Amino acid sequence: MTNAFETIPMRVVAEEDLGKPDLPPEEPSLPPGEWLKKNLFSSVGNTILTILVGALLFWAFRGLLDFAFNNAERDWTSVAANMRLFLTFAYPVDQYVRVWVSLAILLSLGGFSFALTRNIGGITLRRIATWFFTTGALVLAATLLVKGPLERDADGVLIFNEENEAIRNAVVWADRSIWFIVAAALFAIAAAIWFGFGDRRRFIFIPTHYVLYAMFGAAVLSLFVVKYGHYGLREADGALVPVMEPDSLVARSTRIPWLVMWVVTGVAYFVGTLLRSRGWFKGLTGLSWLLAPPFIMWVILRDPSFDWAHVWSTDIPMFAAFAIGGGAILFWLSKPDLGEIGRIIAFGLGIVAFLSFLSGALGWMSMLQKARISFVLLAMFALVAHNFAGDRSARLRFVGAWIATIAIVHYFVTAINTPSTLQGIQSDTFLGGFLFTLFAAFVGLVVSFPLGAILALARTSKFPIFRILATTFIEVVRGIPFITVLFFFSIMLPLFLPEGMEVGEIAGVLIGLVLFSAAYMAENIRGGLQSIRRGQFEAADAIGLTPTQRTGLIVMPQALRVSIPPLVGQAISTYKETSLFAIIGIFDFLRIANNVIPNQSTPINFVGHKREGLLFVSLIYFIGSYAMSKYSQKLEKDLGVGTR
Amino acid sequence: MSISDATTAVNEELASRDDMIECVGVDKWYGDFQALKGVTATIKEREVVVVLGPSGSGKSTWIRCINRLEQHQGGQIIVDGVELTNDVRNIEKIRSEVGMVFQQFNLFPHLTVIDNVTLAPKWVRKMPKDEAEDKAMELLTQMGIPEQAQKFPGQLSGGQQQRVAIARALAMEPRVMLFDEPTSALDPEMIKEVLDVMKDLANSGMTMIVVTHEMGFAREVADRIIFMESGEIVEVGTPEHFFTNPTEDRTKLFLSQIL
Amino acid sequence: MTDATLAGSQPGRPPFYRDATVVKWFAQLVTLLVVLGVMFFLAREAGDNLSAKNIATDFDFLNINPGFGISEGIDTDPDTGGRALWVGMVNTLRMAAAGIVVATILGIIIGIARLSNNWMVNRAAGIYIEALRNIPVLVQILLYAAILGSAGRLLQDTGPIEGWVIRSAKGLALPRVFIADGFYQWAIWLLIGAAIGWFLRRQQVAKRDATGQITYPNIALLGSVLVFGIIGWFAHPVFGFFTSIFEALGDAYGKIPQGALQILLAVASLAIAAWWIKRFLDQRRTPAGLAKLTDDDYFRMIFAGLGGLLGALLFLVLWPGLSSWILNSGQDLLYLLSDKFGNGRTGQPIDAMKPTLVGEGTLWNYGPQGLTLSVGFAAVFLGVTLYTAAFIAEIVRGGINAVPKGQGEAAAAIGLSRMQSLRQVVLPQAFRVSLPPIGNQYLNLTKNTSLGIAVGYADVVNTGSTVLNQTGRPLSVIAIWMLFYLACSLTISVVVNWFNVRMKIVER
Repeated sequence: MTNAFETIPMRVVAEEDLGKPDLPPEEPSLPPGEWLKKNLFSSVGNTILTILVGALLFWAFRGLLDFAFNNAERDWTSVAANMRLFLTFAYPVDQYVRVWVSLAILLSLGGFSFALTRNIGGITLRRIATWFFTTGALVLAATLLVKGPLERDADGVLIFNEENEAIRNAVVWADRSIWFIVAAALFAIAAAIWFGFGDRRRFIFIPTHYVLYAMFGAAVLSLFVVKYGHYGLREADGALVPVMEPDSLVARSTRIPWLVMWVVTGVAYFVGTLLRSRGWFKGLTGLSWLLAPPFIMWVILRDPSFDWAHVWSTDIPMFAAFAIGGGAILFWLSKPDLGEIGRIIAFGLGIVAFLSFLSGALGWMSMLQKARISFVLLAMFALVAHNFAGDRSARLRFVGAWIATIAIVHYFVTAINTPSTLQGIQSDTFLGGFLFTLFAAFVGLVVSFPLGAILALARTSKFPIFRILATTFIEVVRGIPFITVLFFFSIMLPLFLPEGMEVGEIAGVLIGLVLFSAAYMAENIRGGLQSIRRGQFEAADAIGLTPTQRTGLIVMPQALRVSIPPLVGQAISTYKETSLFAIIGIFDFLRIANNVIPNQSTPINFVGHKREGLLFVSLIYFIGSYAMSKYSQKLEKDLGVGTR
Repeated sequence: MSISDATTAVNEELASRDDMIECVGVDKWYGDFQALKGVTATIKEREVVVVLGPSGSGKSTWIRCINRLEQHQGGQIIVDGVELTNDVRNIEKIRSEVGMVFQQFNLFPHLTVIDNVTLAPKWVRKMPKDEAEDKAMELLTQMGIPEQAQKFPGQLSGGQQQRVAIARALAMEPRVMLFDEPTSALDPEMIKEVLDVMKDLANSGMTMIVVTHEMGFAREVADRIIFMESGEIVEVGTPEHFFTNPTEDRTKLFLSQIL
Repeated sequence: MTDATLAGSQPGRPPFYRDATVVKWFAQLVTLLVVLGVMFFLAREAGDNLSAKNIATDFDFLNINPGFGISEGIDTDPDTGGRALWVGMVNTLRMAAAGIVVATILGIIIGIARLSNNWMVNRAAGIYIEALRNIPVLVQILLYAAILGSAGRLLQDTGPIEGWVIRSAKGLALPRVFIADGFYQWAIWLLIGAAIGWFLRRQQVAKRDATGQITYPNIALLGSVLVFGIIGWFAHPVFGFFTSIFEALGDAYGKIPQGALQILLAVASLAIAAWWIKRFLDQRRTPAGLAKLTDDDYFRMIFAGLGGLLGALLFLVLWPGLSSWILNSGQDLLYLLSDKFGNGRTGQPIDAMKPTLVGEGTLWNYGPQGLTLSVGFAAVFLGVTLYTAAFIAEIVRGGINAVPKGQGEAAAAIGLSRMQSLRQVVLPQAFRVSLPPIGNQYLNLTKNTSLGIAVGYADVVNTGSTVLNQTGRPLSVIAIWMLFYLACSLTISVVVNWFNVRMKIVER
């Protein structure tokens, strides 16, 4: 009850309100000798432990470095030269601008979202100095520990020289001067921060957002400075010739877009900070997150080529019919004091929606999928209409929401059922690589979230049949491995659907992913729901809210806040689960490393080079999920979960 | 004037008013435990009734049945001429006519004070936002806490929170207010500020049923006192009658234990 | 209270569409109908599509020769599809059991190390946890398989101990201990020993409680089992007569007519439902008579009754095959036991064999010649164990942190050392907090063993997918997978819950 910000988190607050974070108390820094004695050699047993674990770490670190970089069989060009395959699989190169636009959309949304969250927490200059120092120490250690390099022959191919272990162990230090310089530079920066800023100023606090943006910027700018190498294919004399320039900057077509991405993110963040006090901005950002994945997948990446004659003759009239007819019904249904007649009508619409599905299935009537979906949506809107009753403008807003929803849904359904303009892309199988991994994780989270929320509500409902249905679903799904779910949806789903209702294999397994992660998400949200005291329900009832209003206005906002940390944990799991797509033959990130590259013989022979790719994949997965887990720990601290 | 004369006078005066709440033989079970055994009582318009009794005697259960937080299983409850049945329309009507204040305040911690108060008028009464906020500020001023409007419940003291809860209930312009031990969760120094607000409310002519252990409040404000034990109404009477000359042995025992 | 006021309001039922109870149950029933309708519709479609594509859904393949071998397991050349799946299940269970044991030990060690005062130990544990839990387990398994697969590429030797250990590119073969002829008779001796030991143990405990003397209850138990085990090792053919008992039982069991069993099961199902309803009503009975029942109460009773009816219907009409299956398999089981106790079985109960090398540098198969650890096994084992250990470590750390500081201080105050305080005071309390999430990790580990398919470990999913491809019965195989994993999950959660409840009682 003392500190508002502990009990009321996740609120947009102007930065000046936040109060400056307290300076951490000056830690009495022990002299190095005493620090060592206290933390490493406090007793005989501890000394032995320190030496043993130190030896283990040394051995593991050196072994890993040697395994990764200097083992006779390691050839990292297999990763570098296949970067495009890793990231976007077979996406047409001449259409890459679409990929960049998609990325820009996601980064802008990220910028908006960051602007909406509180920019507190972060690090002090003191910590930054420690970072630089630690990185420098790691670089130095690696430079000293790694065995000597392998020779290359005139064609740049590594020479395998097993007998030369002795030579490799005799390191020519001069060859590594660059790394010594790097380490020295890092130490110098650390020292400059540490000693250049006085005692108090060392605690100057840099908020997380700026640190993250600076790190992003550093990575992007390094593309213009550090020679990561340039790999690719060039067409010469009618044949594709590999380009391998290990000592040059990355291609301009990579550098420039990344710079643009960096700028776009910054601009989005700035715009977000300007707009965040507006009430609509938060909702609009959330809605954009929901709409972005289908928009990117089916509109930008797939570029539907509409058959305009059909659009004008069928699609638009159908949209108009639903927009006007449905709008009129909803306008009437949201009349105040309509009473239970409204609910009866809404229920009737629900029956129509159900029958529209059944009718297609039983062959009574062949109706367009769009009509079925629209009927379901109309029934859902009708069922909640009485909550939006009010004066004329309130009712018109409600009808407006209906028309917007139906427009978006109709557009997407039409777009999905339209062939692509892109050459060679007629189905959704063009998706692959890391692009697909990201996309799948994203869809898995965004779509399964509302589903999980509904399941959680049903499972905690006081209606026994809802409870039984939800519990059965959740427990069955949680009891079986994801791989069997994937098998089911890749093999079985087509068999369960009627003719004319086909989904591609990728869409099928995505449905599997969504259902799977919805079950887990439901459990997380249920945890949040159960943490809400009974009194909140009673108070909502006592002031006369309807059950829908009670759920939407009182229960869910509180429950979700409590379940954010476990939901982020679930996000990490889903991100990792996507790797299982490799098993059922989808060309995701992992499959490319494990199955594609090791079998590549042209234009460069990489046969058998599996471990480099796998290490690279591990690293990328690690970065993603480590970042998310750090974020979740920070959230948990900020939200003060468990303090309520 | 003797006590019995006073009681008679009060009863006569009350008889002339309209009935606000009527309970006839209300029964309620939890599993195999009977929490209410044929509770029969009538509360008149503008009447203030204090319900006393040992804990577990069914006081809270009874008033929670009146706005359907609990469902009674036998007998009748009629609020302002509308009977509480399974009819959803009646439940909605009664909920919006009966305000309730809880022991644990039950404010919505994710909403500001003003949002807590305006929530129901906006969503249930469909009142425009500005009008609802003006009204809420008026109520908060009445409660003596207008300056807390933009704060969150977690930032307020217990007494302030309970006054916000009263304002929230009043915002729906109820015809009856139910108080379920409104001061039991408060620190002693905050009890008075809440009781003062309740006294003002009683003086303004609100029909109130108050479950409380505050004997001073009961003696000073109540028109009638209902004493319950084991789910039954044992004795009903004016404060004078109740505190000075109770007829039932169980009432005497209860009074001897707490006074 | 006058009659006039009562007359003013109209008591009685509101119109049905405004009745809260009716609306509530109507909404639920409609939802149920919609769900059932969708399922019916999907099943119908599936039926049509399956028959159109000539895909069968029967389980006949369980009794047909699958026509493929399995790289490792209790049987490398299964003669039926069912046997092949069974081999896969045993492999899954073997992997899960081994993984759970090792992951628990490793996880606890690392979790405690994470809280160590020693900076080096603490950081090493931190690096382990962060590195391992943030990389998908499948990627780890593939990486281990890639490393192990190439490490042995050049090795085809039989070192380090001549004849006892064989290394090759396919894996590692060790001497194998296996159940031999006389095991089942011997097991009877062990059971008798355990029963007597249990009795002795109780006696010893009673004596200690009564007289305060120091007694050795656990030693008595172990001793008894040991003595009977040793005697039984030589005397086990004594129990050979069990064979005829089981044979007679099997004969008798086979004579039960199917109809009788069906009726028995149907009656039992109805009786259970009736008993449940009666018990429920008894709970609602008060000295003043039956309490008023709510609609939820009625729902429960109706639901129980419907369950009983459905069970009866299932046994009698819907699936008579179930009864004959119970009859047949029960008889098979009895005959199998009869065979296991065969009079001719006089060999020793447990035997061991050295691994043998068949062919040029290859282990022919992974049969009884030796305990083999294939590369697939090693990769999956390392993957799931190391991965789960990281999670268990975090749970253990959280559990220890959840123990109030005062507990450690109190332990120090009564003079316990740091280790003693950890072992006697902190860990038992931390264990209680950590048990449910650790149970979840066991479940996850078991499910993750299904990733063996990526590296060729012959677990149930791997063998199942081969069966699926060979026989073209996807629906049947997927159903078996789901049932198997659900059974595993259920078993683990029951065991964990049992521990949980036990410990909670101990606490109070």
